Amino acid sequence: MNGQSSNIYNDPKAQWFAYIVLFGVLALIPTFGTEPFQLRVFSSYAVYAMLAVSASMVWGFGGILSLGQGIPYGLAAYCMGATMQMQFQTPDDPIPSFMLTNELNELPSVWQPFWNTSVGLILALGVPTVVMVVFGFLMFQARLAGAFIAIMTLAMLNAFYSMAQDLQPFTAGFNGISPPNAFKAFGVEVDPYSSMLYWINLGVLALVTLGSKYMLQSKFGTLVRATRDDAERVRFLGYSVAYYQIVVFVFAGLIATLAGILWVMTQQYVSPTAFETPFSIYMVIWAAVGGRHSLFGAIVAAIVLNYLQTELADISDMWQKAWLLILGGIFIAVVLLLPRGLAGMFEYLMGFIKIGGRNSSSTRVSEN
Amino acid sequence: MGVLLELKDLTKAYDTYAVVDHLNLTINEGELRCLIGPNGAGKTTTMDLITGRQKLTGGKVIFDGREINGLKEHQIVRRGIGRKFQVPAVFRDLSVRENLEVAFNRTPNPFSNMLMFFNRTDKKRFDEIVELSGLGDRLDHKAGFLSHGETQWLEIGMVLTQNPRLLLMDEPTAGMTEQETLKTSEIFKRLKGAHTLVVVEHDMTFVREIAETISVLHLGKLLAEGPMHQVENDPKVREVYLGAEGISDAA
Amino acid sequence: MSVHDFWTPFSAGPFVNALFLGFTLGAIWLLAALGLTIIYGTMGVINMAHGEFIMVGAYFTFLLQTEGGIPWLACLPLAFIGVAILGWIVERLLIRHLYARPLDTLLATWGVSLVLVQGVRLIFGGEPQYVAVQPHALTQSAELAFIHIPWLRIFILGATLALAAGTWAILYKTIYGIRVRAVMQNKEMAASFGINAQQVYGMTFAYGAGLAGIAGAMFGGLKTVFPDMGLGYIVEAFLVVVTGGGHLFGSIYSSAILGELNSVFSYFTNSTFARFVLFVLIVVFLRFYPQGLFPETKARR
Repeated sequence: MNGQSSNIYNDPKAQWFAYIVLFGVLALIPTFGTEPFQLRVFSSYAVYAMLAVSASMVWGFGGILSLGQGIPYGLAAYCMGATMQMQFQTPDDPIPSFMLTNELNELPSVWQPFWNTSVGLILALGVPTVVMVVFGFLMFQARLAGAFIAIMTLAMLNAFYSMAQDLQPFTAGFNGISPPNAFKAFGVEVDPYSSMLYWINLGVLALVTLGSKYMLQSKFGTLVRATRDDAERVRFLGYSVAYYQIVVFVFAGLIATLAGILWVMTQQYVSPTAFETPFSIYMVIWAAVGGRHSLFGAIVAAIVLNYLQTELADISDMWQKAWLLILGGIFIAVVLLLPRGLAGMFEYLMGFIKIGGRNSSSTRVSEN
Repeated sequence: MGVLLELKDLTKAYDTYAVVDHLNLTINEGELRCLIGPNGAGKTTTMDLITGRQKLTGGKVIFDGREINGLKEHQIVRRGIGRKFQVPAVFRDLSVRENLEVAFNRTPNPFSNMLMFFNRTDKKRFDEIVELSGLGDRLDHKAGFLSHGETQWLEIGMVLTQNPRLLLMDEPTAGMTEQETLKTSEIFKRLKGAHTLVVVEHDMTFVREIAETISVLHLGKLLAEGPMHQVENDPKVREVYLGAEGISDAA
Repeated sequence: MSVHDFWTPFSAGPFVNALFLGFTLGAIWLLAALGLTIIYGTMGVINMAHGEFIMVGAYFTFLLQTEGGIPWLACLPLAFIGVAILGWIVERLLIRHLYARPLDTLLATWGVSLVLVQGVRLIFGGEPQYVAVQPHALTQSAELAFIHIPWLRIFILGATLALAAGTWAILYKTIYGIRVRAVMQNKEMAASFGINAQQVYGMTFAYGAGLAGIAGAMFGGLKTVFPDMGLGYIVEAFLVVVTGGGHLFGSIYSSAILGELNSVFSYFTNSTFARFVLFVLIVVFLRFYPQGLFPETKARR
């Protein structure tokens, strides 16, 4: 390695091509006559892939080790759960059944806005964003970095977890909210077992991935990577580091927010598990195994790891229990031996393929 | 030729111990000033105080007629003060080209920069800097793979890219070979006049090569100031540097 | 919880009781954070598996009691030794190779915690186990006018203070402690004086893990023992370290303050809401004091 980019892996054109192929292939899955049940599983994988992209953006590129990507994800999921629940309720029967069992005899005011689906969607997007802006502002203005960020995000995640668990009359506590009907908008019902939902999820995944990729290739992206390298140097070039960190933190949060909304559309269910610590760390694991500097790798790793988990669970109960042991082992091995993940290994292999007629002026070192 | 930077009673004290102690210093526009002094004289701290990296505990920093102490680092940089660090700070994961492009701070706004791609940078200025730093054939290398000297030149190039009115250079030749030092002094001679420079340096050969006026710091205070021959023969300075041996041997 | 009786009005007796409970809660958090503080303060390593070290300590105690019939008090030092050995192995195999990448240490130790939780679950199953606390008197409550505090919590308070004092003595009164502090200040310099930094790190990590082992033996008696129990302590323990500034005295003060605040908030509202408010307060606090309550004054170059 001499640091020069004669490797096709670093060619932006080849990278865009690879993404188009990936999403193209994934889009064909429903045309193979996949079972509806299986299709819904794939729809969930698309959500996991989004979360991996979110972790990759904030940690892999931004260098901000957030263990709290579950915060925007969970908040959005709860807002979406409320919206879908209220689509089921009618003026004659305005109170969800779990509230009745918790001795609420009128709809609490925080639930009122969700009568309106548009308002509900705006809240599902807006609430997590506002929380992330405020939280990001507090952390990055104080110049917290590294492990401190990890601890603070973890603490906030835990705080939300206990709130979701404890505010039973509003959140149905441990049981979670399961809206009885599929999500309806503009007169269309989005059946969770349909190829339509699969394509929606995949479309949003493609959109956030390519949007992130575009952003990373702009000057903003280079600055974000520069901040990861040496925040102080960036500051002494006249940029407000905190501002950039807040923007990338909120942007990654927005990806997780979309994932939360789509998750509830796919599963018709939201519970405090959305705020569980391990789940937020899995997102980082997917990004790490795929390669922390590669959105492509993050997507592939999220899909493959979750597929493996499902398949192993199908074999036997024993394998299902062993899965976390295996995942932990994979993660330790990747961190220790393969810090750039599968993508790094792929880059290394691609380095052996020589491409002729290309001179260095048209290529740049560019992270995938 | 007006006054560009003025330090008035600049003080940085921890409890009772002052690292910089009522320091007064005036830098004129277009000047090249060398700051020298034994270890612990407060040279780097002075630079930290000017650039806002550390908070001063007393006195004022006046840049271009306006007080700048209390501003944040990036705001001070935007006023026109560039800084090269003692330990060279470049973005090791980025290519040399990307390093320089990041340094072209046209707009600090993240959202505008999302729409900004690199083919739009100021080509003429970019080529000038590349030529000056002599990194023309290294543009597509990762900065982490550069030699120590090249890293120093890259950082100088990055700071120059900003076209600052005042350049603070903290030990630009630290760790360089003789040839590298020579090349660096060539760079500095070309900067002279076009930029206002304050250089902290230990290498007396280098200082002799480039300096017009020298300020000697000792225990956070200004000990002496003037041209090389005058400072060299100042008995107070001789005493501070290795007893009475004189600074020529201190290098 | 019902919305209407969310807010508890003030009443002197129970409130004073809550203040006492706050101290014992602070002691529990300090006990959980002690090992973490030493490891972070000395090595700059955030050990995400610390909660699982506590869990392993609890299971180890459970095993010693059920298989060996060893009385609880005797289990405490054994849990220290057992988990210290585990910590030493983890340092040797994993952490040692990651000192240049501190954030990756955090991730790798999370991997360790995943393996430990699932390994224990495979061996012992997920159902809760119980550690029997002897002598029996410790399971009673101390009663004095309006104060009701379990003796075990008072015992933990005393034991924690003793462990903190012992740790202080090791760090400041022994040759080993001088070496540790030398490595803390300047690794290269210490190495040039012939101090084996690797060995110091290994021993420190083992010591920190051992403290988690003792904590586990005590927490096992306080609550139930189950594979995920570590998660219940780790966040508070981290916050104690962060707000304290990453050194022993900081952690002692911050655990007392956080324990008290939590207890007072819990008194007026409920424990979950108190937790939420406390965490938010800490985030806001760090906005203004990012170095914690007692920042170490370090000269910078």
